[in-house]
Amino acid sequence: MNGSVRSSAGLIWRHQRLVWWIFAVNLGVAWVSSLSVRATLRTVLDLSLESAKLVKGFDFSTLVLLTERPDVSPRALAPDAIVAALLFVIFLLFIDGGVIAVFLDDRKLSRSEFFENSGLYFWRMVRMAIYSIVPFGLLIAADGSAAKLAGKLASNVPQDWVGFAVNVGSKLIIVVLALFVRLWFDLAQALVVRDNERKVLGTLRRSLTLAFRSGKLFASYIGIGLFAAATFGIGAGIWFFLPHSATSASFLILEIVTVTQIALRLWLKAASARWIALLPDEVAPTFSLPVRENQTLVEGLTDVQPPLPDPPMSE
Amino acid sequence: MKNRCWQICVIAIVALLTVAGTAQGSPLSERIVAYQIEGAYNAKTHTLDATEVLTYTNRTGTTLSKFPFHLYLNAFQPKSTFMTEAQQTGINGMEQDSEWRDKHFGSNEVKSLEIVGSGDVTKQMKFVSPDDGNADDRTVFEIALPKPLPPNQSVQFRIHFVAQFPEVVARTGYKRDFLMAGQWFPKVGVWWNGAWNCHQFHAMTEFFADFGTYDVKLTLPAKWNVGASGEMTGAKDNGNGTQTVSFHAEDVHDFAWSADPATKVVEDSIKLSSGTVKIRMLMQPGHMGSSARYMDALKGTMRKFDEWIGPYPYPQITVVDPPHGAVAAGGMEYPTLITADTSWLMPKSVLIPEVVVEHEFGHQYWYGMVATNEFENAWMDEGINSYMEAKVMDALYGKSTSYVNSRLGTLGERGMFLTEYVPSSDRDPLSRPGWLFLDEGSYGGNNYGKTALVMLTLENLVGEKTVMRGLRAYFDRYKFKHPRPQDFTASMNEAMGQNLDWYWKQAIYGTEVLDDRILTASSERVDWYSKADEKKGVTVYRSEVIVHRRGTFDLPILLEAKFDDGSTVRERWDGKDRWHRFGWDRKAKLVSAEIDPDHGYWLDRDRFNNSWTAKADGKATGKVAGYWTLLTQWLALVLSCLT
Repeated sequence: MNGSVRSSAGLIWRHQRLVWWIFAVNLGVAWVSSLSVRATLRTVLDLSLESAKLVKGFDFSTLVLLTERPDVSPRALAPDAIVAALLFVIFLLFIDGGVIAVFLDDRKLSRSEFFENSGLYFWRMVRMAIYSIVPFGLLIAADGSAAKLAGKLASNVPQDWVGFAVNVGSKLIIVVLALFVRLWFDLAQALVVRDNERKVLGTLRRSLTLAFRSGKLFASYIGIGLFAAATFGIGAGIWFFLPHSATSASFLILEIVTVTQIALRLWLKAASARWIALLPDEVAPTFSLPVRENQTLVEGLTDVQPPLPDPPMSE
Repeated sequence: MKNRCWQICVIAIVALLTVAGTAQGSPLSERIVAYQIEGAYNAKTHTLDATEVLTYTNRTGTTLSKFPFHLYLNAFQPKSTFMTEAQQTGINGMEQDSEWRDKHFGSNEVKSLEIVGSGDVTKQMKFVSPDDGNADDRTVFEIALPKPLPPNQSVQFRIHFVAQFPEVVARTGYKRDFLMAGQWFPKVGVWWNGAWNCHQFHAMTEFFADFGTYDVKLTLPAKWNVGASGEMTGAKDNGNGTQTVSFHAEDVHDFAWSADPATKVVEDSIKLSSGTVKIRMLMQPGHMGSSARYMDALKGTMRKFDEWIGPYPYPQITVVDPPHGAVAAGGMEYPTLITADTSWLMPKSVLIPEVVVEHEFGHQYWYGMVATNEFENAWMDEGINSYMEAKVMDALYGKSTSYVNSRLGTLGERGMFLTEYVPSSDRDPLSRPGWLFLDEGSYGGNNYGKTALVMLTLENLVGEKTVMRGLRAYFDRYKFKHPRPQDFTASMNEAMGQNLDWYWKQAIYGTEVLDDRILTASSERVDWYSKADEKKGVTVYRSEVIVHRRGTFDLPILLEAKFDDGSTVRERWDGKDRWHRFGWDRKAKLVSAEIDPDHGYWLDRDRFNNSWTAKADGKATGKVAGYWTLLTQWLALVLSCLT
C-alpha cells in the first residue's frame, strides 16, 4: 500500500462519521421508500401459510407468483425505489462540498462550516454531475456495443468461450475507464473546493490533464476498486452460505457490505482530495475554507504558500 | 422408357420394403405414406437438391381428387404468415420488430412435380392459405389429381425440390457447419375428420402428419457426423470428398436429420421392456460436460415411461446437441430424434439439460406415437407431455428441486408451470387452435403450464394412480393414431371409471379460473356476554371460516382447520355457491385454516389467500421487504457514481 492510499485510508478512519452518516441516509431513504412494500406484503404474507416457503428454504416460484400480483409487482413498486435513489444522489451532491472540504483540510469541521461548504458548492457539484453523464453515457454505450459484439461472436465464432471472454474483457476495460472518469471528476471536485473555482468546464479541462498525469493515484483507484470488488465478493460469499432462515444475519452481512462500499467510495474521494491538496497551483494558491466577514482563516493555513516541488503521485 | 424403368424400380423397392417390414412383425401403424428421398447437401450454400418419391395409400374410405402439401421452409420469407406473426410477437428466434435479415431466408422450391403414370403437373400447383388468406404465404400448395384416387389405392408423386436452409430459426437451419434439417421436404397433409388438414406454418404452431416409412439417402461432405430419425442402413465414402448415408425409419410421421463435422459421438444402450434401445448422442465438443447429464436424464426418463405408459418400440433414439448460437434448433422433438439444449457454462444446479432431454423424449409418446394435431390441439402433445415432465423430473430429481436446486433457492416443475400459467390464466381456452392464441405467453402458459396443472389437479380429485391408469389406457388405444380432444376425455373417463366431463368442460374448453380463498376466519366465545375469565379447555369458542369462491372454476373444496388444543378438522364443501361458512363449537380456539391442505389444486392461481393463521408471522414480509430495501440502497449507490 503506498503512502497516499494509506494516508487517505487514515482520513476515512478519522472522519468515519461521514461514512456512517451517508450510510444512515442511504438506509433511511430506502427503508422509508419500502414502507408501502412492507404494508402490501403484510396483507398478503403475514397470515398465509404459503409464506413459509420464503423463509424455510427459498422457493423461487413463490417469489415469482408474489411479484406476479398486480399490487406487489416490481413495476408497481419501482417508482418509490427510484425516487429514494434520486433523493440519495441529491443528498450526496449536497454534502459533496463539505465532505471534500473535510478531506482537503483533514480536520473535523463545525456543523456550520460543513454545511456552508456544502451549500456553497452544491450547484457546481450538480453541474459536474450533469457533465459526468456524458462520459459515463459514452461508456454505457460502449458497453452496449461491446456486449452486442460479444453476442455476435458468441453466436458466430466456432469456439464457445470467445464471446464470453470478449464480454468479460470488455466489461473489465469499461470498469477501468469508468474509474478513470471518476478520478477525473473527483479531481475536478477537489479543485473546485480547493480553489473555490466557479468555472466548472475550465476546471474539468484542467482536471482531465491532471488525471492523465496522476499515474500513481489512478493505480490507487484501481487498487481500491479491486478491494471493493473483493469485499463485495467476500460479503456475498458469506451471505450465500448462510441458512435461509438466518434472515437477520443475512441483512447484517449485506448491510456491512453496503457500508463498506460507501467507505471505499469515500476512500477514492479522499485520495483525490489529498492529491489535490498537495498539488501546487498556478492560479489559486491553496485550499481555504470560505471566509465570512470577521472570520479569520483556518489555523495553519495561509492564503499564500510556496508551490510544492512536484505532485506526490504524478510520476 | 427410362422413366418407366425408374418407376418400376421404385415401386418394387417400396413393395420389398413393405414386405420386409411386415416380415419383421406387423406394422405398428397404418403406414399411409412411404417417402423415398435422395438428396445432396451443398455445405457452402446450405442447400439440398433432392428428389422425393411419395407413395400415398388412400385409407380414408373416400375418393380423393386433390392433395395438399406443406412446404414448411417457405415460412422463412418476409411476407409469409410465419414471419409476419413472428415479427409481431418476437418469437421463435426472431426479434420483435427486428429488421428482416437475409440469413433467415429459407425456401422449398419445387422444381418439378410428377404424378407417376399421369405426367408432370408442376404448372397445376396452386398455393393456398386456408388459415388467414395471406396470398404471399407459400407454405401450402394443392394439386388436383388428373384421375381421382379411390379408397385403398395408391398414388405416387415424384417431386424434385431444392431446400434452402435458413440460419437457424424456428427449429431448423444451419449455424456455421452445423445443420439441423427439420421440416425440409414437401410433405403431404393429413386426411382427418373427413377433410384434408393442412395448415399454413404459423409462428406458434408445430406440425401434423401421417404415419409411414422413410428411406432417405443423403450425400454430404465426407467425415461429417450425421444423426437422423430411424436407423442408419448404409454409409459410403464416395472418394470425392463426399459420403452418402442411408437411413430407414418406419411407423413414424416425420424425418429429421442433422450433420456437423465437429460433433463427438457418444453411444450407449438401455434395456427396456421392448428390448435393447440404442442411444446415440451427437455432442458439441464444448458441451461434453453435459453429456453424462443428458445420458442420465434420458435413461431415467425412458425407464419411467416404460414403467408408467408403455414400451418404446423403436430400436434407437438419437440426441442432437446443437452448438452455441443455434439455440433455436434446441429443445425440439422428431420421431426417434430429439435436440437438446445446454451451454459450456451450464451450472449443475440448473437442470435445463435434464429438463429438455426429458421433455423431448416424452414427445416420442405424446406426438411421436400418439400423433395429435399440433396445429389445433397443442395441449394434447405439449401439455400432456409437460404433465409427464413434472412426474418424471420430480421422481428423478425431487419435487421441489426438479428445475433449480441451488443454495440461493429452489424451483420445482410444478412451481415453474404455475408461474407460466398464472399471468395468462383467463386468456385462451386449451381448445383454441394454436395460431389464434393471444400471444406466446398465453400459448405457452396454457398449452404447457395449464394442461400440466389440469392433470396434477385431476390427481387430487381421482388419485394419482387413477390418472396414470387413464393415461396409459389412452396411450394404448391411440398410439399410432390421431386422437381428438374428445377421444382423450372419453378414454380417460372410461379408464378412470368416472364421468369427468364437468371438469374437462371447464379445464379444456373454457377459460374458468380457480381462485378459492379464505375470506374471514374467527374464534369467539360462545358466551360472549359472560364476564367470567376465559379458561383453556373449558371455555367454548365458536370458530368460523368463510370460504369464498373468487374464481369461476367449479371444484369441491376441502378445508382443514387446526385448533389450539392440537386437534384438526377436515371438512368438504361442494363449491356450488359463491361462498360457504364452516363453523365449529369447541373448547379450543382456531389457530389456522387452509383450503386444499394437501396442496393438490395446482390450478389455483392465488395460493397466498388459501390459508389463514390466527397469529401473524412477519418473517417472510421482513425478508422480502428487507431485500427490496437493499436493492433500493444499491440502486442509490449505483446512481451515486455521478457524484
